[in-house]
Amino acid sequence: MSSAAISSPVSTGFGLRRALTRHRGALIAAIVLATLLFIVDWISAGPLTYFDVSFLSSGGATSALAAVGQTIVILSGGFDLSAGAVISLVNVVLASSMDPMAPGASILLWTAVGIGVGMAVGAFNGFFIAVLRMQPIVVTLSTMFILQGVTLLVMDKPGGFVSPDLGTFYLGDAITGWLPMPLVVIGVVLLAWFWLKGTRFGTALYAVGSDPDSAAAVGINVVLVRFAVYVIAGGCYGLAGVFISAQTGSGDPLVGNPLLLSMFAAVVVGGTRLGGGQGGPVGTVFGAYILMMVVNILLVLNVSAYYSTIAEGTILVLAALAGSLSHASVLAVQLRAARARIAAWRAGILPSQIEAIDRRLKIAGPTQNQRGLASPRPAFRLRNAETLRYALPAYVCLLIIVIVTQVWLGRTILNPGYWNSLLVLSSFLAVLALGQGTVILTGGLDLSVPWTIGISGIILAGMVNGSDAALLYALPVVLVMACAIGFANGFGIAYLGISPIVMTLATNGILQGFALIYSQGTPAGFSSPMLRWFMTAKLGFVTPIVLLMVVFVAGAVLLLGRTPFGRRVYGIGNGLRAARLSGIGVERTLILVYMLSAVCAAVVGIMLTGFSGQASLGMGDDYLLPSIAVVVVGGALITGGRGHYLGMLGGVLLLTALQMLLAGTTLPYATRAILYGLVVLGAVMALRERRLQ
Amino acid sequence: MGIGLKVRRLALLAGMAVCALGLSAAEAAEKHKIFLSMSYIGNDWQAEAANMIKAMAAHKSLADKVDLQVQVAGPNAQRQIQQINAMVQSGAEAIVVYPISPTALNQVVKNACDKGVKVFAYDAEITEPCAYNVHIDQLEAGRVTAEWLVKKLNGKGNIIAITGVPGTSVDDQRTKAAKEVFAKYPEIKIVGEAVGMWSQAVARTELSKILATRNWNDINGLWMQVGCFTANSMQLEAGKKASELLPCAGEGSNGGRIQMLPEGTDVEGAAPPYAPAGAQRISYASPPYSGALALKLAVEAIEGKDVPKTTILPLPLVTNETIKLCDEGTWAEMKAGCNVFKPSLVSNPGWFASIFSDQTPEIGLNAALVGQPEN
Repeated sequence: MSSAAISSPVSTGFGLRRALTRHRGALIAAIVLATLLFIVDWISAGPLTYFDVSFLSSGGATSALAAVGQTIVILSGGFDLSAGAVISLVNVVLASSMDPMAPGASILLWTAVGIGVGMAVGAFNGFFIAVLRMQPIVVTLSTMFILQGVTLLVMDKPGGFVSPDLGTFYLGDAITGWLPMPLVVIGVVLLAWFWLKGTRFGTALYAVGSDPDSAAAVGINVVLVRFAVYVIAGGCYGLAGVFISAQTGSGDPLVGNPLLLSMFAAVVVGGTRLGGGQGGPVGTVFGAYILMMVVNILLVLNVSAYYSTIAEGTILVLAALAGSLSHASVLAVQLRAARARIAAWRAGILPSQIEAIDRRLKIAGPTQNQRGLASPRPAFRLRNAETLRYALPAYVCLLIIVIVTQVWLGRTILNPGYWNSLLVLSSFLAVLALGQGTVILTGGLDLSVPWTIGISGIILAGMVNGSDAALLYALPVVLVMACAIGFANGFGIAYLGISPIVMTLATNGILQGFALIYSQGTPAGFSSPMLRWFMTAKLGFVTPIVLLMVVFVAGAVLLLGRTPFGRRVYGIGNGLRAARLSGIGVERTLILVYMLSAVCAAVVGIMLTGFSGQASLGMGDDYLLPSIAVVVVGGALITGGRGHYLGMLGGVLLLTALQMLLAGTTLPYATRAILYGLVVLGAVMALRERRLQ
Repeated sequence: MGIGLKVRRLALLAGMAVCALGLSAAEAAEKHKIFLSMSYIGNDWQAEAANMIKAMAAHKSLADKVDLQVQVAGPNAQRQIQQINAMVQSGAEAIVVYPISPTALNQVVKNACDKGVKVFAYDAEITEPCAYNVHIDQLEAGRVTAEWLVKKLNGKGNIIAITGVPGTSVDDQRTKAAKEVFAKYPEIKIVGEAVGMWSQAVARTELSKILATRNWNDINGLWMQVGCFTANSMQLEAGKKASELLPCAGEGSNGGRIQMLPEGTDVEGAAPPYAPAGAQRISYASPPYSGALALKLAVEAIEGKDVPKTTILPLPLVTNETIKLCDEGTWAEMKAGCNVFKPSLVSNPGWFASIFSDQTPEIGLNAALVGQPEN
């Protein structure tokens, strides 16, 4: 998405103006934050006191510190899903190793321990990503699972002790009554960043994020830069972990995990572009505080509980929109384009209004037959070499897992029940993989999957209420609703220029609110006998849904591989600008892609309702990260443009088979999480990027 | 969904819209300002508990005394910390909280206590000594259910255990207590164990995974924190007769309790698997009325009554011997001993049925379903 860079005004010669343009994202985030502060101050009972400011500053500090680390990773073109898990790990390490009997704790020592743990994890990530050239999203996802397991091994329930000295230091005042310590800590981190940015390393960081090939060509050591980025980011998460330990005075193995998604939102709201090369941590800090301020806004506005996620989603979208208000924003470009189109229509010079004449040069090309004679089609293996290279590893690993299951648990390979269960359990992710996979192929990400599943299931169950006849109208209603959800996502992304992560995250929150309001917290109704039959009955050894899946897979492969829509998707993923210039209706395609994703999620909601017999709130919560993981494990590139549906299907089967193996054992959950992470990491070892030339 | 229910929902929606606009300042000033800080409301238990709290606040005994504002923190402890502080700053007299973490809130709760705010935690615990806690004894829950299962199996057999959310104290206590019981009987073997996240849907997926390489016939019993309804449904689907269902120690979902009624009992609205099946069960629950009770106690505490710091709720246990169908689900009727509701009234089998408390005559079935108090 280099449109912003290209259409930004040419150097004006005024230093101030240029600085303003360059830091626009951070500036707007700062203005939004100031506005929110003003609103809280204006509406709430008393004026904001120093105590309020001090408390707000400590409330947002953990996510701000962690988001700074995430920003640096994103600037380098990466992605780090292990951030939340690092915070939890540092928290339990500190809480379990501090001695409650010791008179005082060394702040320097424990801070160093926390940062050290974070950097060690960062080095682990960095090794696989930089040295072994594996995709950041898979590596850090595996790390996340492994760390969650390790965290539970260190401390399997909340407890432990963090010395109050740490709290007194980190939450206290730097200058009594004037400057709270959390702001100083963030200030120090930002100063360190400014210093870093000014060094050769800083320049290299932005260069690698903008274009790794060019960076390598001018002699930058890309491997070293990437490795260092993850280590530095790990240090930031470690510091965030120290801060939350100081703030809570105890340990909780789950404390960091929910910070992950809001961290990405903070980065984007702060004006950093996903994909790298543009933005910086200053805006991120404002972004993190904006997200925390939402809590206070909801309170002073007295937004009732069911509406809170809706309000939050709306605030997120508005903040993102405010950040993109400028002459060069996508929205402005779209409006200008629309004006031009209307003018052209009035003048009667729109392409569709002009008489269609084939103006192409006539070339006597070889006919189909002749071409076949002239050069024989290369062998299947050669034609599909690229696809096979990325899709095969998942299947090879699947085979290994199945063999291990046979040896460990028995009753596998020759047991038709095993294969049927594998396919039924895989069917949910297989459907999601098409939607999420297509979105990822265009370089986006759909985070609204969980509550699209949830609301679809809830509305379907409520309408069907056990009647097969009602399915006839309930199914279309739910699918049309899904189309509307997808359209909203696609419209926001394509026409309003909101980043896919922010747009779909906001949609997810809004859908959650709607689901709660619709169901009043208690989803009514249950699935009809026919739907249940599809998901749970057996025709011989096979559940009906398995037969449907065969059709679905064939359809998905054809859709992505053999239709103009599929080719446009790959085109957009490989290069947005190139796609636009070659005449692809980028906006229209993007909207269709997000509609496809929403429809797939809705189908999963319907399938889950049939499978469980009823719908429940939160039924889609466990499908977000797996839906991304299977796509990437199946060989797709998270930045878009590469991947095959059959590869993703392999990823689905592999992860499901692995979970079935682990569920059959009596290993503790922590061990399972670690094994799961290691296997995913091992499976994608084969997907390493080729060495940069 | 009946027309009546729809109308009621519309009325409720309208009511909520009015509430959202806020009461006039003068009106609110005479009332006790109480906040509810919920964690995540995206699951059935939380929403049901929230309904009961709203009903309690709307009951005529409290309606003139309480100005209740409900806020949601989501799953993020950081945000709950900030939320509680913002509540203190905006003049809360009491804060009722579903704590995301038993320990992470300690500092902010202490800070609230220092300013004279009463903090009541329901269902889960806050370890800070100044907080009031209202919950069941989770160790007892794990122990009693495991002992029941061992007795049903005569101390011998293969069992499957489905646990809750790993890393939480509640799951840790229940699972540890149950495993201590099982460890005393060397012939009881846990042959499969999975994380059920306290969700029927997850329990189903996990059981399917376990059963891919096993057979129902190799298993003698089930210990599940949530999921007996699902497990029974799956056995029926696999072709078992109702009389062959495995003994299952688990949660207090209404679906699971309906299945406990003797096979053939005539129940309005029942349709398999949400129908009487004579399933051998012990049904326990973390009761969703705990939040409503916490609110009531909070008002008492504000009014200067002596409220104990820890209220351990009696563990609601229902077995095949004590199961009894409610007709309408009023508090008086539940007081007389009924403990399961007709599917025609509660269409969601995963809905939690342990809503009766001696101490909360203000709320009955309608409170849990739509947030309406008893008369």
